[in-house]
Amino acid sequence: MNIRLLAKYWRTILVVAEMNIRQQMTDGFILFTVLFQPIIIALLGLWMLQDKGPDAAMFVVVGSGLTGLWSSLLFISGNSINFERWTGTLESLVAIPTPFEVIVFGKNLANVGQSLLSMVLGYFIAAFAFGYSLNIQQPLLFVASVVLAVMAFISFGLIIAPVFVMNPGVRAWQNAMEFPVYVLCGFLFPIALLPGWTTPVSYLLPPYWAAVALHGTSTGGASLGQTLFAWGMMLLFSLIDLLIASRLFKLMLYKARADATLGME
Amino acid sequence: MKTLSNNLRLFWQGALLSYIALFHWMRPIQYMASKILMPLAQMFFFVYLGTFATSADNSTFYVVGNALQIAAVSGIFGMTMSIGGDRDSGTLGYILGTPANRLVVFMGRAFMNILDGTLGVVIAFFWGVVLMGLDLSNTSIPALALTILITTISTCGLGLLMGCLSLITVNVMFVNNFVYFLLLIFSGANLQLDKVPAWVQATSSVLPLTRGIAAARLLVQGASLAEVMPLLLGELAVGLVYSLLGYLLFAVFEVEAKKRGTLEVF
Repeated sequence: MNIRLLAKYWRTILVVAEMNIRQQMTDGFILFTVLFQPIIIALLGLWMLQDKGPDAAMFVVVGSGLTGLWSSLLFISGNSINFERWTGTLESLVAIPTPFEVIVFGKNLANVGQSLLSMVLGYFIAAFAFGYSLNIQQPLLFVASVVLAVMAFISFGLIIAPVFVMNPGVRAWQNAMEFPVYVLCGFLFPIALLPGWTTPVSYLLPPYWAAVALHGTSTGGASLGQTLFAWGMMLLFSLIDLLIASRLFKLMLYKARADATLGME
Repeated sequence: MKTLSNNLRLFWQGALLSYIALFHWMRPIQYMASKILMPLAQMFFFVYLGTFATSADNSTFYVVGNALQIAAVSGIFGMTMSIGGDRDSGTLGYILGTPANRLVVFMGRAFMNILDGTLGVVIAFFWGVVLMGLDLSNTSIPALALTILITTISTCGLGLLMGCLSLITVNVMFVNNFVYFLLLIFSGANLQLDKVPAWVQATSSVLPLTRGIAAARLLVQGASLAEVMPLLLGELAVGLVYSLLGYLLFAVFEVEAKKRGTLEVF
């Protein structure tokens, strides 16, 4: 794959991301998922953890932002292919020379990117409504963690979307999949509180490593070694997810063409 | 007599069919995911968050609060979709074209959701006892059952109002998700209401669930039905006010929609 082709794909990703954000800003459900729900969770968390001080406030800001990232990935990215089906644009997108997974990557980038806004709003709520003086303890490491977390979430989303398309029964479990990940990934409390047998499950979830890196660098509670390990895990999972997603997209499009069900639910 | 029998038939048919329509697209296993796994996961999340915020000794506070909060799944989402579904599926025009008693049609939408919501809360309490160490040895179970029923009725009252709003807005999912999540804050399921700002307390006092949750917590601590009766009556009154508001809005909406020709305009 040459640099020119990659640059073309990147341009496509950015255009798709921009279009996606423009479209979604008028959808109440999406606005709720990426903005209002994380903010309500942040408010609730800030009230519940108000006796624990500023470190807990930072934990809540980052954690509630992560809930927004996951919910957006599950409900919006999960339906990103189905959305094209519903609007009748799936056939055109599949027929163009740009690989379909590049398009979906751009959509996921938009979903994950706009979800980060909830973290920023949560920060301002904690600072102005609750009067916390919040400082990100390791700003450079935090920014790098955000970039890697975005990558890990997008890659994970590239698996979820084709799985939901090929298995409508699995998609019906969407509602039941939201809170378990909040719990297992330690978004708003440490997973040490959970029974020991759940820990390996947490380790297998990329959002868990994103939470480790973001919480650790924002509160200064993680050593450099721990942060680097979390980064490594995010990169590893991103790579594995991209490989699996590539196979899944091929399988999905083959099945859709063979069964003549591309535009059908 | 014939009118009464017709209205009873209409009520039952409306209740049953709207409920079947609500879940017709699901298989039993997916219904279980929505009604059992999702509430359980939500309970776990808030109970762990609450015990992390305070201490493990307070788990009962969060288990009881979040178990009662499950009433809002049927009360808000179920009700909104039962009523709003008529518009989505194009049947609203037919319903409003019939001479059927509007109050019976309207209340029929709530009936199965009340039963379903009550069952959801009972399941949540079951999970609380089995998985989260909730101790009901000092609790009057009949009084707790009455509390669950009244709280679910009251939450469905708010759901009726939200359902009517869903007839005049495109963003139904925004509205009901927003109300559902606000209840997580304002109902006191996860917060000690005496420790939050006055405006939060004031808002809580006019919402369903608040008094029901407070009553359930007292019952679990060993209070008698007589001690919590004022809270239960208050809870019921709040629910009735919301139901009445919902019914009035339904009536106004029907007249306005017919006048403007916007019955099924999104």
